[in-house]
Amino acid sequence: MDQPLVSNHILANVNSVVGASFLLSAVVLMTQRQAQAVLQWFIRQSILLSVSAFILGWLHHSAELMIVGLITVVAKAILIPQLLVRTLGPEIRSRRELDFIVNTPVSLLIAIALTVLSYFWVAPLLNGAKETILVNLPVGLDVLFIGVYTLTVRREAVPQMLALMSIDNGAFYAGIAISASSAIVELAAGLEGVMVVLVVAILARTLARHVGSTEVSELTHLKEGLREGESS
Amino acid sequence: MIIIAVPLIPILAALVALLNPRLDITRMMTVLGGIATLVLTLILADQVSQHLRITVLPHWIGVDGLSALILVLQGFVVLTATVYSWGYMKRVTALHPRRQQQFYVNFNLFLASLFMVPIFLQPALTWVAVELTTVLSVFLVGFDNTPQALEAAWKYAVITIMGATVAVLGIFLLLWGLLALHVSIQTWSALTTAASEMPVDQLKIAFVLIFIGFGTKVGIVPMHTWLPDAHSQAPTPVCALLSGIEVGTILYVIMRLWPVFEQIPGGFAQDWALIFGLISVGTAAFLMIQVRDFKRLFAFSTVEQMGIILVGLGLGPAGHYAMLYQFLTHAVTKSLVFYSAGAVFLATSTLDIASVKGLIRISPVAAGSLLLSGLAIAGAPPFAVFLSELAVFRASLLSGHIIVLVLLLVFLALAFFGILRHLNQMIFGQPSHPRITLPRSVTLTLVIGWIPVLVLGLYLPASVHHLLTLTTLTLRR
Repeated sequence: MDQPLVSNHILANVNSVVGASFLLSAVVLMTQRQAQAVLQWFIRQSILLSVSAFILGWLHHSAELMIVGLITVVAKAILIPQLLVRTLGPEIRSRRELDFIVNTPVSLLIAIALTVLSYFWVAPLLNGAKETILVNLPVGLDVLFIGVYTLTVRREAVPQMLALMSIDNGAFYAGIAISASSAIVELAAGLEGVMVVLVVAILARTLARHVGSTEVSELTHLKEGLREGESS
Repeated sequence: MIIIAVPLIPILAALVALLNPRLDITRMMTVLGGIATLVLTLILADQVSQHLRITVLPHWIGVDGLSALILVLQGFVVLTATVYSWGYMKRVTALHPRRQQQFYVNFNLFLASLFMVPIFLQPALTWVAVELTTVLSVFLVGFDNTPQALEAAWKYAVITIMGATVAVLGIFLLLWGLLALHVSIQTWSALTTAASEMPVDQLKIAFVLIFIGFGTKVGIVPMHTWLPDAHSQAPTPVCALLSGIEVGTILYVIMRLWPVFEQIPGGFAQDWALIFGLISVGTAAFLMIQVRDFKRLFAFSTVEQMGIILVGLGLGPAGHYAMLYQFLTHAVTKSLVFYSAGAVFLATSTLDIASVKGLIRISPVAAGSLLLSGLAIAGAPPFAVFLSELAVFRASLLSGHIIVLVLLLVFLALAFFGILRHLNQMIFGQPSHPRITLPRSVTLTLVIGWIPVLVLGLYLPASVHHLLTLTTLTLRR
């Protein structure tokens, strides 16, 4: 076996380790009880996504994937966290416990179920697929599912927003392995990053100013069968 | 070049609004932009009728029957929304007139993003345009800055962005299919051609992700929870745009991929459309009975109408024409309903159904328009939706979907009852508010809005029939 093939094999193995860590980061992000910890795990997850993009870019000789990795690290590991801390600093740094709708053990069980589900769902597509696709596609889909679940059970704006971007990470983690050669990936990655900052950070700040907190579970004004002033 | 000019015009109007301090000029430029875009979209539709498709940048930007239909409907609703905004926004922001500048900048940028969706020939670019519509409309939904408006904007942003992210994975799967077949062009037509060579499981997973993802922004039940909030809390011209044409524009993306997904054996995609369509119509019909806010009533009616359109899509080729007909009549009627509801809000300053009584004496124009447009959207003759719903019924009968037909009839009867019951409470009785006169631009919009609803209720002009027929060709392989 010649030298490049050996190094490619090692890189593919490293990508598998990154994949496992990426999945783990989604589960840890789901269970964290403080906003700052959620943010830190989101940063770690985004760095893992960009590492995978760099590895795949190297393996497939794809400059586009390298750019995706760069955009991800700049937008999601540096820019977005900075912006969030700047606009919602006290909210993020406060040591109070975040609210959950479902407790941690049940959430972990659901995460396991989602992992099994996502693997079996895409299993028919994995026959004869490249090693990197075998890792990235099921893991990406799983992180997307876990992100959707996290978004549903979180009750406050900042963790919801980070769960939303974690869903995005999952989609792109799968995307970089399967649609590597096009310029579309970085277009979408870049725009998504800008969009999330724009919409969510600004909105959350306005929300905090007008409603007094970013506890979105208190947002129950808009319901059927209730008049203003009535509570459920 | 007309195609590129269509989204550019609102961008120019937004620039004028941003740089120019005089509100009258901003309003005038926005209305002129609305007129110009409608004229351009009509010219485009005419050109498409003759040449089938027009391409500006091969594999990037172009228009065919389906996109021309969407553009014309967008053009019409946009024009009416710009005229309506003139008087409406002036009155609702009377205490803070400078906020209108912010409104017009956002409003025009949102219009530009809407026009971008149907002109791209690549799914990824279209997805980016769809995301732009969310980003640019979310500030309009929260424009009132009340806790309710901000709640609606928050839900709208979070849920629809989540949907779009789910959809993007579906798009990646389709692009993977193209790459595996060594097809380097990533356009809608390349996907349609290559779909038969793609693994069925891959198409199925891509379909589910795209259907759920974009379906979230269309308001398909059970992903609809944000829609009644956002579509009722935004300022009325924005509600008309969101309900009248924005959800339809997102449904366009699913329609665009329909020739791809119809190739999944066993009618997989059709079954999903039928089931989710019926669930949406049924759920919305029941919820419409218990609403207490009249704008929410019509927002649920949008969920119901999107359900009917999905059912039409699920009926297969037999339902395509009826589905597009319903799409057309819904766009013109729903925007009119919201303009009427906005007129009622101007007259009474409330959205609570129980707080409005004797509307016919408070503002005969608003009351008449609300009652008749409510009847029109509920499917009463002699208005446009009646004929298109009849076409959907006929298509379900001809394609042998008798159960679908029966369920549709039951749900639509319920929805009809729901709408009429609420309107009856509001229109008649002792007046709850003093008599007022509506701004001239609001009355003018109602007049313009009524024209297609009445004309299409009487007959379908040959040119419209031709465009609809042409559009059904786009939906075929």
